[in-house]
Amino acid sequence: MNLNQNLQEVIAKAFGIAPNDVTDELEYQSIPEWDSVSHLVLVTELEAAYGITIDMEDVLTMGSVAKVRELLKKYNVEAAA
Amino acid sequence: MLLYELIQKNKDLFFIDAQTGHAKSINTMHQSLHIDSTQGLVFIYNDNLIGSVEVLLNFLNSKFTVVLLSAQLHLSFKQNLEALYTPYYIYDPARTAVEGYKGTQASASVKLFKRKETPVYLIHSNIKMLLSTSGTTGSPKFVKLSNENLVQNAYSILDYMPIKSDDVVPLNVPIVFVYGLSIFTTNCMAAGAILCTNNDILQPAFWTDFSKYNCSTIGGVPYVYEMLHRIGFFKKDHPSLRYMTQTGGILNQALRTDIMRYISTYNKQFFAQYGQTEAAGRMAFLPQQHLIEKAASIGKPIKNGRFEIDDDTNELIYFGPNVFGGYATGPGDLSTWQQTNKLYTGDVARVDADGYYYITGRIKRIIKLFGTRLNLDEVELILKNSLGGQTIVCTGINDKHLLVSHVNEQLEESAIKQILKEKLQIHTSAVQVKYIPSMPLTPNGKIDYPAVMGFAQVLPLSRSC
Repeated sequence: MNLNQNLQEVIAKAFGIAPNDVTDELEYQSIPEWDSVSHLVLVTELEAAYGITIDMEDVLTMGSVAKVRELLKKYNVEAAA
Repeated sequence: MLLYELIQKNKDLFFIDAQTGHAKSINTMHQSLHIDSTQGLVFIYNDNLIGSVEVLLNFLNSKFTVVLLSAQLHLSFKQNLEALYTPYYIYDPARTAVEGYKGTQASASVKLFKRKETPVYLIHSNIKMLLSTSGTTGSPKFVKLSNENLVQNAYSILDYMPIKSDDVVPLNVPIVFVYGLSIFTTNCMAAGAILCTNNDILQPAFWTDFSKYNCSTIGGVPYVYEMLHRIGFFKKDHPSLRYMTQTGGILNQALRTDIMRYISTYNKQFFAQYGQTEAAGRMAFLPQQHLIEKAASIGKPIKNGRFEIDDDTNELIYFGPNVFGGYATGPGDLSTWQQTNKLYTGDVARVDADGYYYITGRIKRIIKLFGTRLNLDEVELILKNSLGGQTIVCTGINDKHLLVSHVNEQLEESAIKQILKEKLQIHTSAVQVKYIPSMPLTPNGKIDYPAVMGFAQVLPLSRSC
């Protein structure tokens, strides 16, 4: 749960929104805060927070918070569990 | 000849609706909307979808003056602009009602808002289009463009751009930006199909469509090329892609090298260009064989254009038939047209022995964040108004960051970032806020901008997001 909150916080920080507004259903371009600019900020923040390097191709698959969570599992990041 | 007639002459042109997969020919778009035959303004809040395109084409073929605006503009900015200019028609698919306007079905699929009280305008017959000098600040300052400006710009581009009659062109650059408009007009005149989409290059759907429709080209500002690089675009061939175009600043060296490798490996073409809204589009382009050798150059003037560099200020001055007819900051400015072929670009430049031009600085207080032009004076005004008239000074850092300097120790950094995010959609990571004990002034009492920017370099910056 704690780690889950951590992911929420990372995403919230990247978009400049409240952690409570980060839900699994949140999608790319569904809010003004999640645009192409902040999408790449999110990639950088995730890489920094979890010490991973996200493959170029995977950047395109992060279309929702649920998909980000899925992707992090692939990178063996516990926070996604 | 009229721009619309030149588009109409491209008889086999069709428009693909990416959302449905349906296509409409240019012929079915011709006079497809019921609109009044009168002079006036139409505000088109463009989202690059097929509805916006149909509305634009119908109004190009009318006596109306088209005002192209971003669909993403903050609602309060839309309302301010509408109160000032009282447009006859408004096209805005994002709203169900507009005060003072009644909804009217211009066709089965297109709804317009028509002003209840018929506004009285005096609009100079040369003014065919008004383009915003900045996409997001909601500034009432527009560039006045004539049909001749738009046509001449398109002709100059068609002179060097390798557009073919069976090309499929995605509208990935918003038409509200003059660069996107140039892509739209030239390809409507010479290409085979326009893919109308509001998907962006970070959405898998865009790339599905790109392959499905065999797209021939892609365009973007440097930031878009950085994103393309990030998603691995340059790692593999995209068989339908023939050429790429770029504007809005110089690509960094590493990216330029990567693009050169890509275009030589897969036999593509690449066109770096230089332009401004005041020139209805383009002023110069750099042929790709010089992309490395003349790195960081904006190239040479387009056909029928010419540059001079001011002896005293080194300002780049452009001469050409695509130069605009003055600014409008209110409806009163719509009755005049200043005929000229001379444009002070506001950029400082030098030219090399082979006649290639290089931008070395900027005179106007303008920065480009993620490719979008921002007038720093307008950003300052918005912040001052929102914060109750405090001393706020905005400067740019290498077109990467907006630096907001202020003299109020109590002022929260987050408050400034929140306003910029909400009103101007500027991402917080691109904003740096700096408190300075006193604002440096010039001897005549004006803000000393170089000194303010000096603070940014000397003192450590807050880099939190």
